Parts: sequence; structure tokens; C-alpha cells
Amino acid sequence: MSAAGTTALRTLVGRLLALVPPAVGRRLRILVTLFVACAVLQGLGFVLLVPFLTALFSGDRPGTTYWLTGLAVVGIGYAVVGTVAGRRAQITAAEVLSALLERFGDRLAELPIGWFVAADRTGRASEAATRGLNFVASTTYVIVRPVITAFVIPATVLVGAAVVEPRIAVVLLVAAPVVWLTYRAIAASTARASHEHDDVVAEASSRIVEYARHQPALRTASDSTIARGLLDEAIGRRDAVARRTHLSAGGATALFAVVVHLCVVAVLVFGVWLALDGGLAVPALIGLLVLTVRFTEPIVNSGALGGGIAAARNTLDHLDELFAEPVLPEPAEPAQPRGHEVRFDRVRFGYGTSADAGADGAAGETVLDDLSFTAPQGAMTAIVGPSGSGKSTIVRLLARFYDPGAGTVSIGGVALPDLGSTRVAELVAPVFQDVYLFDGSVIDNIRLGRPDATDEQLAAASRHARVDEIVDRLPDGWDTAVGEGGVLLSGGERQRVAIARALLKDAPIVVLDEATSALDAENDEAVGRSLDELRRDRTVVVVAHRLQTIRTADRVVMLDGHGGIAEQGTHDELLARDGDYARYWRTRHRAAGWRLRSP
Amino acid sequence: MSGTVLSPSVPASGPVPADGPEPPPVDLFAPVRARLVWIVVLAAAGAAATVVPLVAVVELARTLWPALGGQPVDTARVWWIVAIAAIALPLSFAAAWGSIMVGHLTDARLQSEVRTRMVDLLGRLPLGWFGSRSSGVVKKTVENDVSALHHLTGHAVHDLVVAIVVPVLSLVYLFATEWRMALACLVPLVLTVVLYGVMMAGSREQLVRYDESVERLNGATVEFVHGIAVVKSFGQGRGRHAGYQRETGRFLQFYRGWMNETSVMQTVIEVATAPVVVLVWLAAVGTWLTGDGTVAPVDILPALVLGLGLTAPLLQLGYTGQAMRTALQARDSVTRFLAQPAQSLPARPVAPRDSTAEFTGVSFAYEADREVLHDVTLTCRPGTVTALVGPSGSGKSTLARLLPRFHDVTEGGVSVGGADVREIAPSRLYAEIGFVLQDAHILRTTVRDNIRLARPGADDDAVERAARAARIHDRILRLPRGYDSVVGEDAHLSGGEEQRLTIARALITDAPILVLDEATAALDPDSEAAVQDAISALAVDRGLLVIAHRLHTITGADAVLVLDGGRIVERGTHEELLALRGRYRDLWERHERARSAGSPDTAGTDRDAR
Repeated sequence: MSAAGTTALRTLVGRLLALVPPAVGRRLRILVTLFVACAVLQGLGFVLLVPFLTALFSGDRPGTTYWLTGLAVVGIGYAVVGTVAGRRAQITAAEVLSALLERFGDRLAELPIGWFVAADRTGRASEAATRGLNFVASTTYVIVRPVITAFVIPATVLVGAAVVEPRIAVVLLVAAPVVWLTYRAIAASTARASHEHDDVVAEASSRIVEYARHQPALRTASDSTIARGLLDEAIGRRDAVARRTHLSAGGATALFAVVVHLCVVAVLVFGVWLALDGGLAVPALIGLLVLTVRFTEPIVNSGALGGGIAAARNTLDHLDELFAEPVLPEPAEPAQPRGHEVRFDRVRFGYGTSADAGADGAAGETVLDDLSFTAPQGAMTAIVGPSGSGKSTIVRLLARFYDPGAGTVSIGGVALPDLGSTRVAELVAPVFQDVYLFDGSVIDNIRLGRPDATDEQLAAASRHARVDEIVDRLPDGWDTAVGEGGVLLSGGERQRVAIARALLKDAPIVVLDEATSALDAENDEAVGRSLDELRRDRTVVVVAHRLQTIRTADRVVMLDGHGGIAEQGTHDELLARDGDYARYWRTRHRAAGWRLRSP
Repeated sequence: MSGTVLSPSVPASGPVPADGPEPPPVDLFAPVRARLVWIVVLAAAGAAATVVPLVAVVELARTLWPALGGQPVDTARVWWIVAIAAIALPLSFAAAWGSIMVGHLTDARLQSEVRTRMVDLLGRLPLGWFGSRSSGVVKKTVENDVSALHHLTGHAVHDLVVAIVVPVLSLVYLFATEWRMALACLVPLVLTVVLYGVMMAGSREQLVRYDESVERLNGATVEFVHGIAVVKSFGQGRGRHAGYQRETGRFLQFYRGWMNETSVMQTVIEVATAPVVVLVWLAAVGTWLTGDGTVAPVDILPALVLGLGLTAPLLQLGYTGQAMRTALQARDSVTRFLAQPAQSLPARPVAPRDSTAEFTGVSFAYEADREVLHDVTLTCRPGTVTALVGPSGSGKSTLARLLPRFHDVTEGGVSVGGADVREIAPSRLYAEIGFVLQDAHILRTTVRDNIRLARPGADDDAVERAARAARIHDRILRLPRGYDSVVGEDAHLSGGEEQRLTIARALITDAPILVLDEATAALDPDSEAAVQDAISALAVDRGLLVIAHRLHTITGADAVLVLDGGRIVERGTHEELLALRGRYRDLWERHERARSAGSPDTAGTDRDAR
């Protein structure tokens, strides 16, 4: 029986050990040893009950006192070990949690930024950090200990029983493999059910959020049976799978318990038969029966623990997945770029999964194919092209969210992998389309660009990006908290804060993904001005949507929508060529003059 | 038993805030009451049956006792006892198992019912409820909290019944056989209850603090993960984000301190109630009592057999205390959610006469004392375009959203065809008023169903016609499965394409009044032209209420209303307002400056465009 326990535990404890540093691992091992010692002492106490009862029932006073003393020694021993284990368990849980949180934080910092772009990643990661890690840290106490108790106590009792009455021990021993096999089967089926369950839960949950999120559209629809149908179906499937999971897990547990109980009944019948036959002393029989009845409890309860083990395993799976994620290669010695010219040389890139891809293309599709262009040092290069042509991907590659599948992206003649992510981060100041602001003051968010900046530098950057105008309107001025993600500011305003951040950072290269949403007059003007400021002495690569940006760029790169470049040159050259770009420009121009209804 | 756990009156996480006059009492468990009784009955039967084999062992000892003195034994009685024990064992398990199974199936049913109720309510909450944070609230309440209810029906009821029935029955038997040993058995039981009481009293405050620190850690992690691109691209990626660092430090400090405090008491309880320790205690008392012959040796056996198992069910309750706490908090949270007042529906719906929308003396406040619209009056007739302009925060969106009842007015009235919007049946109201929002609101389902979302009965021809008019038909045909492609799975659409889908949707709905909430503002400018064409198709013959940033787009509107600080400060046509040289003129000049910065050579390119 102990074999089943150790198998389940070895994987669980082993995987936990692999996640924590050696010092904490040592603590964990000591703790597990202490738990085992506790269980052995506990079992020993039960075993000693047999000689104690024998002495007591046969009126052997010295014998009774002797065995009572023995029991007391075991009891005190248990109290000491149990106290130490109890104290250590809680402290170790904190140590494990601390180690995991640290490792997790480091890991997040290590992962390529591209990993986080995928839609569901952020949610999963934060879920893992809080609930997941907490659960794993408490695993030793909540799951490992009961499982050890469930298997070590019966094992000890079995050994003790073998010493007292080998024939009864044989009955129990025969049952052991049966119990073990049933236990394995349960664990496997629980794990399977748990995976299927996770899937339907995720589906139902996303449908519910969808239903709520789109409520404005659904309500005004006057008949929302389509949306409600999708939702009801998901809830129904979830309900069905939950029932099936409960029934199969329940069936497995029942089977397990029946096997255990059959063993008990066998011992009972066999023991009584022996006693009536005179082959077994009555006090010994009573002692053995007490043992048998008592020791089934932890085993039966361990069947119910299977669910806990499966849950812990799932959480560990998520963590392992996170830790197995490949990171970008980093050079031992970062190379020095010669100048700040940006070059894409025969770059090919596609996103691995649809979650990574976002709006830029479907899974596995090549987004950029054999793409080459140069953004000269100190000049502004505008990237334009139809939606889905890979504009944002270019920004991400330049900020080294990912490395291209083929070809190189280089700065000053050095490929990004040779520069290393740290050096790239120093050289490139990115301004993304979806600017994320931390829930702090506007000042804090700008200061992030250069934590050691002086107040004057900060003020200058804010002024150039016209953040001071935004701040004038905020209730608490510079100290106004912008809310999680910056929700208190409009999209255009957030981008201005991000530009100020980039200005403050004063990196030689700025890569800017212009907001696609139409800016109101104030934001439009502010972004235009700060772009003028940015390009004064920097290499600027901009995914351009504003007509002004496109028109005044030193160089325009027009993507063809099939992973390559249609045309490149200056605005005037391209217009004169009257090709794709000229057509694009005319459409955009017509759109800019569009009126809802002619006057 | 179940009543104590499940009645909504048990306070778990502080008082339930009373908002609204008196929300109807919500009884989550009403649909499963009958099954709860089954859980209790089966659990009690199972618990009672677990005591039987133990009693059988004792009775077996009594019956076999004469054998010790070499006297004959009542063999028939022995086998009877064995038979009873052999039956009781599986019976106890079967009943306990049945109770757990019924509990779990009940839980599945309950979760399904509660979720459906919550979703029903989602469909009737005021639309203003669905703000930027509502997704998080829905995820937490409808998903996580309802799942957390599992512990109540799945485990807590059963555990509680067992924790009462087993000790009570055992004690009855113990007192019936040998009262002195029974008293000895009471000692660990009382000790457990007292120690737990002490621990719980001290931990209440700590638990609140624990929740708070988890919450903070959660926030810091979410922010860290969401802001990772920023953190890393500003060179702080090698180290952990400062906020995350700080919060994990703080959380661990608290966690350690807390563990340190509770682990003492926890350990004392565990050691004091451990079977082996209780065994030593009872054996010692038994030895002492039998020593002077007060008690026969066989009479201390009941205590040794049954006395060991008294505390275990209580400890089980203790182990699951955290799950119980979470479940009770979740129950309160779900109850509060369900108690939210739904939007009022008219008792006697009035039918609108025509499609004229009117705002009469409308004032509105999100919270009391903070009015954001003051005394606004306007009319929007079929076939006319009414534009709302003004600086951000002036109340344009709020005003437009009163028409489809995102909120209801604080004072004054909004009416369609002479009937107050609150008096019109929703389906009728939304047949009159369509809405094209900034957010495209596309569901993860087929393109076809997305287009006919508001008119599920629309046939394929109608869908295609709408798609053509919205300039999206050709794009749809290029998708892997055409109209059957599922958005987000094999149809990846750009913002502009999604917006055209919603325009097709509005075309199918064919409401005579349309509210356009900056429909093109959030668009990818590269697809703007196509969307504009689609909107032009939409604008034909309808009454439009338009919120506009880009003033040149609405110069042809029949009426332009300038909002500032929640009031209409100017109204008239574009030309009239320019002539006023007031607020509108300022806005217009600023707008034109920005526009000309974008294209100083407008004349030249305009020629190209033709």
C-alpha cells in the first residue's frame, strides 16, 4: 500500500523540489521525513495496543504498566516530533512560497516580451502567481501530509501485525496490490476528467464574460437569442461534464472503498474463526480488530485526496509550462553597435499560435516574408500598409519581442541577438499602440523612462509631449493616479504620456506604433509636435497612420500585405510613381474629407 | 444543520451593504432544498453506521470474554456480531458515499441554476452597469464565486453532520457502558473545541488582513504582467518590477508572521488530539481505573475503540475551514449580485406613435449630487442628422446613451414617438433605436450570426445584402469558410472590418433612429474609407444622433448641438454656429488647424483624388 502513496508523492514532491532552490529543498525533505516519522510513531502506538490489551485482559498488572510505559514513550515521542513538524511545516510553506514567488518573478522578467502579447497569457500568469503558487506552497501540509499519514500508518500497522500475528498479516498483504492498483486507476481517471473539465469550464467562463461584455450590443438588439444560445449551450455542457466527472470519480472512490472494506471483513471473519478455533488469543484478536477498523479510515480518505493531488498536478503543469518556455539567446559579452541605423535584412517571421498572432495574422501564417529595408540613422522612416500587413510586427521585432525565424534585424550593423535584450532595451525606446500605464501618478509613469532623471528633465519631457496640458485638467494634477492600465486617460492622452516617457529615456532609436484611433484635434496636434521633437536627433521608425506623419517622413516603406514591401522612397517620389502608395494616399485623403451628409 | 450553514443570514465577511430600498431576499438554495435533506439524511445514516463496527468489536470482546477463563463461548452470538459488522461496514460507506454523491450532483445542478439566474439578471441590469470593470466582476462572481459554492453543498453539509452524529452517538454508547471512561473521552473533545475557539477568535482579524494582502499581491502581479512590455523595454526587465517586489515582500512578511502565530496553536491542537496521544491518555486512565478493581478490564475497551475517533470529524471541519470561509464569502457575493435591482420594465407598455426622439429638460447624475447633464432639451426627427459636439468630458456620450436606456434620467424625460422610453417594451424600443458603438461587439461565432445577431430570423439573402451595403461582403468571401467562418477562430478581422460587420448588423436591424457613438473614431484609418462608405449607406432615410470628434464630418448636419459642462451652450447649423463666433467657432478653428497640419497641400491632392 505504501507503494501507491510513494508513487503519487514522489512525483508531487519531486516536482516541487525541482521548482525551489536547494536550501528550501532540504527543508522540504526534512519536513517529509518528519511527517513519515510522525506516521510511524502513530502506527506504532496502535501496534502497542495489542500487547497492552493482552496484558490488561489477562490481569497481568506489571505487564500492563510495562506496555503502558511503552505507549507513553511513543506518545511523547510523537508529541515532540509532531510539534517540530507542525512548526516547521508552516514555516516551510512560507519558504516555498517565497522561493516560488521569486522564481516566478524572475521568470516573467526573463521571458521574451512576445510571450506576453498573446491574449490569455496575462490572465493565466497572474492566476498562477496568486492562487496557484499559494496552493502549491500549502501542498506539503494540505496534501502531502495526509497522503503520508494514509499510507505510512497502515504500513506500520501491517508490519506490527505481522510480528504479532503473521496469518492475519498475510490477509492484509494479499489485499495490498489490489488496493494499490485501484488507487492508481482512480488517480489516472481523475486526472483525465480534470483536464476535460478544465476545458469546458474555460469555454463557459469565456462565454459568460463575452455575454456581459457585449451586453450593450445584445440588449439593443431586441432579440438576443443567438448570443443567449451560445451561452446556454456552454453552461449546459459544463453542467454535463461536471456531472460525468463527479459520477466517474465517485464510482472510482466507491470501488476503492469496497476493496478496502472487503479486506477488513476478511480479517474480521478469519480472525474470529482463528480465535474460536483457539488458534488466536482473544486479547490479541481484539487488538488486531481495533487496528484493522482504525487503519482503513486513512486509506479510504486518501481516495478523496486524489482530487487534491490532481489539482496540485495541474497547477504544477502550468508552472512547468511557464518554466519550459524558451527564452531568447543572450550574448556573453554584448557587442557595440556602430551607429544607430536600423536594418531589416531578409526577415521572415510568423507567429507560432493564434493566441500570439492577434490581429496580425492567423496561426502559423508567415507575416513577414523576405522583408528588407533600412531606416537611416537620424531620419524618420514611416511604415504604412493595409491592416494585417505586419506593421506592428516590425515594431515588435525591433524592440526584440521575438527573434525572426530567418534573416536579421540589426542596429548599427550588429544583429539584435548579439546586442542582447538589455542593450536593445537601452538603445530602443518603444511607444506602443496600446499604452499600458501603471496605476500610479502621471509623474511615476513618465519617470519609468529614466528613474534617475532630474525634475528639470522630467518637466522638459512632459512639456514636449504636451503632457502638462493633460495634467492641468486632472483633479489632482501631477499626482493624479491614472488607474489600472491608465483607464482615466483617453487613448491619445496615454500615448502622449508614453511619448514623454520615451523622450525622457533619451534612447538613440525610437520606435512608435501610432494610435490607430482617430485623435481629436488636441491630441493630434500634441502627437505631431512631440514627434517633431523626437525626430530632431534620433532614428525614428514609426508605424504611421496620421497623414502628417506619413507626408513629412524622410522615408516611407509601404508594405504589400503579403509579407513584403510594395514600394519605398520619399512621399514625393512615391506619389510621382503613381503606384500602390499613390493609390493609398488618395484613398486616405478622400477619407479625411468625408462628411456624414453633404451640406 | 444545513440551515445554519446555508441560510443567507450567517455573517461571514462583514455586513452586506444595503443598497436600494429593499432588494428581494435571494434564496440561492431554494431549488435544491429537497436534495439537501437527502444529503443530511444519508450523511447521518452513514455516520451512525461507522459507529456500528466499532461497537461490534467491543461486543465481540464481551462475548469472547469467557474464553479467557477457559469457559464456553456463545458462538452463534459471535457470528451474529461478525455479520452485523460485516454489513455495517459497507453500509456506512455506501451511505456516506451516497451523501457525497448527492452533494456533488446537487452542486452541479445548483451551479448551473445559479449561473443561469445570474445570466438572466445580466440581461436585465441597466446597461450603464457594464463599464470597463464589469468583465472582471462577472468573471469573479459568475465564475469563481459560484464555483466556490461547491464546498457548501459538496462537502460542508456532509462534514458537519458527521462531526455531530459520530461524537454524539459514540458518547451515548460510552456513557451507557462506563461513565468514568466516557468522561475521560470527553477531555480531548472539549480541549479541541476550546482550543479551536481560541484560535478562531484570534484569527478573524488576521483572515481579513490575509485577504487584503492576497488582493494587493494579486493587483501587483496583474500590473506586472500587463505592464511587462513597459517594464522590460525600459531596461528594468532584468530585475523584478518594483511594485511586484514590494508586494511579494509585504505579503511574505505577513504570511510568515501569521503562520508563526497560528502554527503554535495549530500544532498544540494537532498533537493534543492525535490518536496516539489520546490513546496514551485513555490507556493510562483505564489502567488506573482497573488497577483498584473499580472497573472491569473489558469495560475500558469501548473508550479505547470509540474514544479515538471522536475528534477526527471535528479536525476535518478545521482543515476545511479556509474552503468554508471562501464558500461563505462567495455565497454572500453571489447573493449580493442577485439582489441588484434590474432595470424597470413597464407594467403596461406604451407603443411609440412615430420615430421622433425627444429629450425634455433632461438632467442626469451618475451619483447623487454630481449632475453631469443639466436641463438638456433636444429633438431628433426621422431623416435628420443631429450632431453632438464638445470637448471630452462634456457629456456627449452620456446624453446619447440615455436614449437606449444605458441609464435612466434623474429629471426630465426621454421619449420616442411621444412615449417615455421607460414606458416602451424593450423589444419595441430597440426596434426603433439602433446603436453603432465604438466597440464593435463581435461574438465568437459565425460571421453570419454576427450580422443577424439582432434579427436571428434574417435569411441568408438579407445577411448578404446587408454585408454588401456595409462593404464587407467581398472580405467575407475571402475568409476560409465564408459566412460560416467563426470570428476569432478562422476569421481574423481588423478593427475596421469588425466595425463594418456591426454596420451590416445595424442595416439588418433597420431601426429608424440610429445613435452613432464616434463609430469611426476607434478605427484603423487604413480601413476608414470603407467604413465611411458603409456609414453613408446607413445614413440614408434614418434619423441619426451622432457624437463627433472630427467636426468636418458633421458640417452637413441638420442641427449641431455644442455641449459644455453638461449643458447645451450653442445650437444651430454649422454655418449658423460659425457666425456666432462662440464656443463652436473655437472648436472648429482648432480642428481645422490640426487638419491643415496634416495636409497643407490639400488642394493638390484633392485634385488627385478626383
